[in-house]
Amino acid sequence: MKELKYGDKIIRMEGVIIEVHDGCAGIDLKGRLGYLKVPMRMLITDYPLAVGQEVAWNMSFVEQLGPEVNDKYVSNLDTYNRNQKEMRKTNAENKEAEE
Amino acid sequence: MSITAETAKEHANDPAVLCCRAEEGITIQASNLEDPAIFDDLVDSGLLDLEGALTIEQVLGATLTKTCDSLCPLTADVVEGAKAAAAPEKAAEEAAEPAPAVPAAPQAAVGPGQVLRIHIGEGKDIDIELPVGLANISAPTPAGVPGVIPALAADTEVQETNEEKIVRTLTRKHYKITEVKRGPETKIEGTTLYIREGIEKECVDSQELVFDLKIDIITPEDYHTYSETIMDVQPIACKEGEDEVGSGTTRVLDGVIMMVTGTDANGVQIGEFGSSEGYLDENIMWNRPGAPDKGEIFIKTQVTIKEGTNMERPGPLAAHTATDHITQEIREALKELENDSLVVDTETFDQVRRPGKKKVVIVKEIMGQGAMHDNLILPVEPVGVLGAKPNVDLGNVPVCVSPLEVLDGCIHALTCIGPASKEMSRHYWREPLVLEALHDPEVDLCGVIFVGSPQINSEKFYVSKRVGMMVEMMDVDGAFVTTEGFGNNHIDFASHHEQIGMRGIPVVGMSFCAVQGALVVGNKYMTNMVDNNKSESGIENEVLACNTLCHEDAIRALAMLKNAMAGEEVKTAERKWNPNVKGTNVELISNVTGKPIELAKNEQSLPMSQKRKEKYD
Repeated sequence: MKELKYGDKIIRMEGVIIEVHDGCAGIDLKGRLGYLKVPMRMLITDYPLAVGQEVAWNMSFVEQLGPEVNDKYVSNLDTYNRNQKEMRKTNAENKEAEE
Repeated sequence: MSITAETAKEHANDPAVLCCRAEEGITIQASNLEDPAIFDDLVDSGLLDLEGALTIEQVLGATLTKTCDSLCPLTADVVEGAKAAAAPEKAAEEAAEPAPAVPAAPQAAVGPGQVLRIHIGEGKDIDIELPVGLANISAPTPAGVPGVIPALAADTEVQETNEEKIVRTLTRKHYKITEVKRGPETKIEGTTLYIREGIEKECVDSQELVFDLKIDIITPEDYHTYSETIMDVQPIACKEGEDEVGSGTTRVLDGVIMMVTGTDANGVQIGEFGSSEGYLDENIMWNRPGAPDKGEIFIKTQVTIKEGTNMERPGPLAAHTATDHITQEIREALKELENDSLVVDTETFDQVRRPGKKKVVIVKEIMGQGAMHDNLILPVEPVGVLGAKPNVDLGNVPVCVSPLEVLDGCIHALTCIGPASKEMSRHYWREPLVLEALHDPEVDLCGVIFVGSPQINSEKFYVSKRVGMMVEMMDVDGAFVTTEGFGNNHIDFASHHEQIGMRGIPVVGMSFCAVQGALVVGNKYMTNMVDNNKSESGIENEVLACNTLCHEDAIRALAMLKNAMAGEEVKTAERKWNPNVKGTNVELISNVTGKPIELAKNEQSLPMSQKRKEKYD
């Protein structure tokens, strides 16, 4: 496993909960630094979750592990996106037909 | 931060370091010293050099001869009146080999009941000579072997008067299936299973949230096909006649399993995070208790649920219920088989109680945060849906079940994220720890407690306290606590240890930890841990069931609990994950039991693209 070069440079990140589902929560990183969606298990909560609550965690920067492209992931992603596109289309058509 | 006198006593042999500036001439007390728990980090980052530092035991009560700043290690040149160096045992300990978690504890037994015990925590080149008068003792166990086994063996002889008691029995009749086809009706003919054409529509109609359902029959030749995330792997089994889950007779199909997969109407994965989508043969760790065995046929459903419900509780449940419509029809067909001529194998499980033996309980923590983090408890049919209660609705409180109920499919797992560490429904059907403990003549397994892991901390502690009370009432001598996956469930996992440990009951924990799943919290009762990791680099490797509890882990946990119950101390874990600890322990155990332990394969045995290999391992 490749060692991280900057893995020990830990910074405090803060965010705002913008989505709460039964199985996950969506968090906007403050300062428009990104968006994070995590399953409930990865959140430590003392109170019931609600949209608008602020959260914080430590993280380091994201580093590339190398220049190679993993074909397996590319192929999976392609299939997944293609399926998703088709299903969206069918779903929309079904909705129209119902109306 | 300074430490208390009590902590100082616990860490008597750890280096003494000032926690804050101290003036010349003071008498050193516990309150002047830093907590040794934080030293490793400081040493790693170069802030602290412990060379030549005296131990806490040595410096307590001594006088400081020079004003020193905080985090200054106390060496002989700044302290006057330090006690003599600690026992030589300490030096031996430091020189010892990398830590096995099961202590090397040579023991010699002098016949039943009357025991001469020589305990050496860890050591090298130690000669022990005994007077010839003691020559009638049995040969001492070779050094470097967990000492408890002979002790328990002696115990066995004493307790022979206490007879084993069979509480109940479960019989599994196996029916071999070699071919799965579609046909006009669902039936079993010889070794062929037919699934009714058009059953899909009924599955869809049965659930409001289900828009579509496709059945794929995957034979070994088709293993290299793309699949959406695998949500569950289930055995196909039914009860015979009026029998209930956990007793009587169960009929099960061999060579075929149910597999639930699916997306929402927009094509987003159900569960979304459990990314085991891809080619089946690259993503399944074959023959794990929870995974399919190589060579089996999969009846794979691909369920489409209403868009946006993939992360809400009703979504995954609807996908499971729709799939169970098919399974239920197969169960009906299986129930109808009249003669036993198709039975290829019959297994009998006895729930044995062994009075007088060490009484143990297994606490299995299951997910209960909501949505796919849920489990259906005690359905009418093995791994069914009907009649079962979701543990989230039960408030995640502990539920007691018999070991046979576990093996008879009392858990229908909606299985959460993290493909490598989640426990599928099939996992419980073949739960290795339950099987090992049930079959071990040296322990008395009294039952299994399932406890959910709620989301909010206060609820976690609420259910954990109930676990503590329940275990207290059981008067057990030892307990296992297991959990699946990693994340905030480790908070209740730790709390269960505390609740059980504070009652003076030795407890062994089992979880996937390694590198990625390192525990987020800990307490002083979490001393005996078994890591379920199998992956080469200690991470969630996206391969289904790779890091789940296997036979080898069950054996290690049992050996560890026996040691803990015999009062042996388990060595502290190293700071960083070291896969050799497991190797050493496995070797120690197989040396004592004389049985080789075959280690399960990991993801390295699967076809994998070269590039992925480079990246991950």
